[in-house]
Amino acid sequence: MKKVSIPKIIIYIFLIIMAFIYLAPLVWVFNVSFKTNSEIFTAPFALPKAPTFENFAFAWSAGKLGIATLNSFIVCIVTLLLSMIIGSMAAFGIARMRWKLSKLSLTYFLIGMMIPVHCVMIPLFTRFAKVSLTNSLVGLILPYLTFALPITIFIMVGFFESMPNELIESACIDGATIFQIFFKVCLPLGKTGLFVTGLMTFIANWNELLLAMVFISDDLKKTLPVSLSKFVGPYNTNYSQMFAAIIIAIIPTIIVYCAFSNQIVDGLTAGAVKG
Amino acid sequence: MDKLLRNKKAIFVFMAPAFILFTFILFIPICQSVYYSFCDYNALTPPKFIGLENYKTMLTDKTLLIALKNSLFFLIFSCVTQLIMGLFLAALLTNIDKGRNLFKNIIYLPCVLSSAALGLLWMFIFSPKLGINQLLAKLGIEGPLWLMDTNGYIILPMWIIAFVALWQYVGQSMMLYMAQISGISKSLYEASYIDGCNKVKSFRYITLPLIRPMVATAMSLNAIGSLKFFDLIFNMTEGGPNHKTEVLATHLYQQGFKYFKYGYASAIGVLLLVLCLIVTAFINKVVKTEQYEM
Amino acid sequence: MKKRFLATLLASLMAASLFTGCGSSSSTESASADGVEEITWMFWDDLNATEDLISLGYKDTIDRFNKDYEGKYHVNVVTTNLEEYYAKLNALVAAGDTPDVFIVSPGPNLTDYVEPGIAAPLDDYLAQDGWKDTFTSDAVFSQQTYDGKIYAVPLNTAAACCFYNTEMFEDAGVEVPTNWDEMLTACDKLQSAGYTPITISAGTAWCLSMVAGYLCEEEGVDLAALADGSASWEDGKLESAATKLKDLSQYFQPTAAGDTNDVATANFYSEEAAILIQGSWAIGQINGENPDFESKCGVFQFPGTDRIIAKSDSLAMSSTTKHPEACAALMKYFTDDTAQRYTAEVGGKIPVTNVEYDAEKAPAQLAYVMDIFENSKGTFGFYNESMPSTEAGSHFDDTMVAVFLGDMTPAEAAKDMEEYYAANCR
Repeated sequence: MKKVSIPKIIIYIFLIIMAFIYLAPLVWVFNVSFKTNSEIFTAPFALPKAPTFENFAFAWSAGKLGIATLNSFIVCIVTLLLSMIIGSMAAFGIARMRWKLSKLSLTYFLIGMMIPVHCVMIPLFTRFAKVSLTNSLVGLILPYLTFALPITIFIMVGFFESMPNELIESACIDGATIFQIFFKVCLPLGKTGLFVTGLMTFIANWNELLLAMVFISDDLKKTLPVSLSKFVGPYNTNYSQMFAAIIIAIIPTIIVYCAFSNQIVDGLTAGAVKG
Repeated sequence: MDKLLRNKKAIFVFMAPAFILFTFILFIPICQSVYYSFCDYNALTPPKFIGLENYKTMLTDKTLLIALKNSLFFLIFSCVTQLIMGLFLAALLTNIDKGRNLFKNIIYLPCVLSSAALGLLWMFIFSPKLGINQLLAKLGIEGPLWLMDTNGYIILPMWIIAFVALWQYVGQSMMLYMAQISGISKSLYEASYIDGCNKVKSFRYITLPLIRPMVATAMSLNAIGSLKFFDLIFNMTEGGPNHKTEVLATHLYQQGFKYFKYGYASAIGVLLLVLCLIVTAFINKVVKTEQYEM
Repeated sequence: MKKRFLATLLASLMAASLFTGCGSSSSTESASADGVEEITWMFWDDLNATEDLISLGYKDTIDRFNKDYEGKYHVNVVTTNLEEYYAKLNALVAAGDTPDVFIVSPGPNLTDYVEPGIAAPLDDYLAQDGWKDTFTSDAVFSQQTYDGKIYAVPLNTAAACCFYNTEMFEDAGVEVPTNWDEMLTACDKLQSAGYTPITISAGTAWCLSMVAGYLCEEEGVDLAALADGSASWEDGKLESAATKLKDLSQYFQPTAAGDTNDVATANFYSEEAAILIQGSWAIGQINGENPDFESKCGVFQFPGTDRIIAKSDSLAMSSTTKHPEACAALMKYFTDDTAQRYTAEVGGKIPVTNVEYDAEKAPAQLAYVMDIFENSKGTFGFYNESMPSTEAGSHFDDTMVAVFLGDMTPAEAAKDMEEYYAANCR
């Protein structure tokens, strides 16, 4: 058996402290969300005496987090699927089709990665307001989709470029049209890339606050981060309900993360490396 | 096959949706934004060209100067601390085997969580009567007013927010460095050990130079992220007390969507965009040098 | 198979989102298929989550209206929280989606909507069926009148007073202060008895600025003269008012700098501080959150002034509404006897109509406020709502907070206000 070295022990102690710093706040808010308001002050760190789900029920219905979760889900799924399709179509067009301006159009799309959403918010808002796209989920999906495209295109171009020529050639000889080649041959092979970009798109949009806050004022169309900020805000003193709201907002992500953490971490890192 | 790949119609179908979205949702609005920044424009009147007036106002807008100071503080703080902490954690994690994934996943977790929710969470943890101050009270210490203190050039709440941001996003830098370090060939290290290097030395002379391109990538990500920073501040302090924790993004939001000064807010947006471009160019110029063979 | 499933899912989600997208525009447009005229009403508190008694009263009014006019009119409620109210309202206005009826504070806020013609004049509707005669006097419309036309209907009046915890006062042996020196002595005594004398919010700037407004009134600041340039902020009046504010601030709770309005009010009704300087709209909030506190809660006039700060919530109507009759009918519901009786008896605000209400049922604090109101030599508006623009008001608020935080000396504050006015207001 190998002797455990002193530096290793120090490393582990340090890492355990780090892990504590990361988990303690989450555990704390989870714990207090089951308490009553007064219990938070009388016994802040003990386990709840009689765990209550009332806080959650209140946040879910009166706080409108239930409908907000649904809205977030709709927006994110639609954006995710559309960005995958539109993005990889453009990526295929750039990487595989033969035309003069393909390199230039890639540059055009990549400029988008540098642009903060804040800069386009005002013109978008005024224009959307004129065509009734504010206060609508479609109005949120459009910019989300657009801002997801550069990274999707960039990563997918890499995937399509690395695909062997023979694949397309043989499909071509079999008499497939260009769209069949794309949808039936190339797209399925780009699964890994789609997974990575999809993940990045979904997480970014699930957590997006600023645009959603500006564009949506109707309670029934707000997304999760907006409803949460509005419900908790700086204006309330019903702490336990607010803690429950925070938990509702983060628990779905935590569950998914626990189940697929390795894929998620690696996928997101791969995406960021390429970006 | 060549004919198939040169099919103009197909190219059009592939490119059109992305191209249209991009042009209408991103490119044209950016141009409009630049134009608005030279206009007197609010929600209830049409834009009127006033030249550089908005940019002149910036020079005398005290809140903007505070916001700019805070944004730059944020930028420098996050670039430096994320580099150090990210590298340090990456170096530690690549040196252990047991539990590497576990620790990695725990530290990465906040990166995928909503920063709006985490901002609220930390707001409560640092509020006068809850969280940390309850803990300190148990030890008989009266905790400070973490998010309300206004003394000093960079006030306490800014430090707190900066540390929370570090807490949330260091996992990202750590992962980027880890990915790069694990790509370095083992034989390089073995050779260095034979030459009498210890671990620290080999880190200094092999790891550091080889991950330099990644430092540029990670830093640019941090820099742009910290300039765009909004969610955490909005939910932790809303720019208060008395606008002392305002950053460019929150000030833009206030001016644009509280006072409806679209023209002025656009000018702030342009400032933000220019800063993003300068900082990215600067980092890539200074940090990124030639790629080494790995 | 899998692909087809995905495609169907995508299609249905798209359809769902498109559907919800269109829902928004149709709700603000004209009569729906079954002939019911839909109107929107916008308000600054979430009616389903609130415990504020005034807000709950508005909810009742809406429900009552929707029930009585079922099949004819229907009101959809749009709510925000107070902080983001005007931002959201302006967003809707900019989008051409102005709510048919919306709540607004009188003063520059209302002016913002009257001047560009967003709010409609209401005289014709007020003249119908003797609606206007139900109000206590024409004076209640004074802040809502522009060029002789009334642009908003007041719903209730609230006065800014000092609420105090009678138990704490007794325990510390403190009498109700009647002038500035007594106020400081009282706070001093409360502090030595171990109480936090005053709870206030500087995190919500207007709360602090309200006290500053009273202090300016004591010093004789003349806002109209300042606005037209015949007086200067640097004539020493603001400086001494700000100095008084600084003196008073040593008795504030330690977290005043960051506490929001709600937190500061909570400090009072959860009996952590002796005095709360707030508008009488807080009565609804105080009694709603802690019903046991009503008997311990006294009220006195801010010491040293004859006039009191008063404010009324008002309803304005969009000039582009397609259903003005429905809007007028809705506004009437807010000023009918049921609603006004509720305002007094449950909400604790001063009614605007001649309604008879049961003083026994009304919160104890209302009677005190009514006394103060009747004994005062007049009212004046919130300082930040009595300046030439909302931004000037915000600037005043921020300047006062800066004095409180020690970022500016009172003299610097006066200089700053003078510079701001010279550049932006005259």
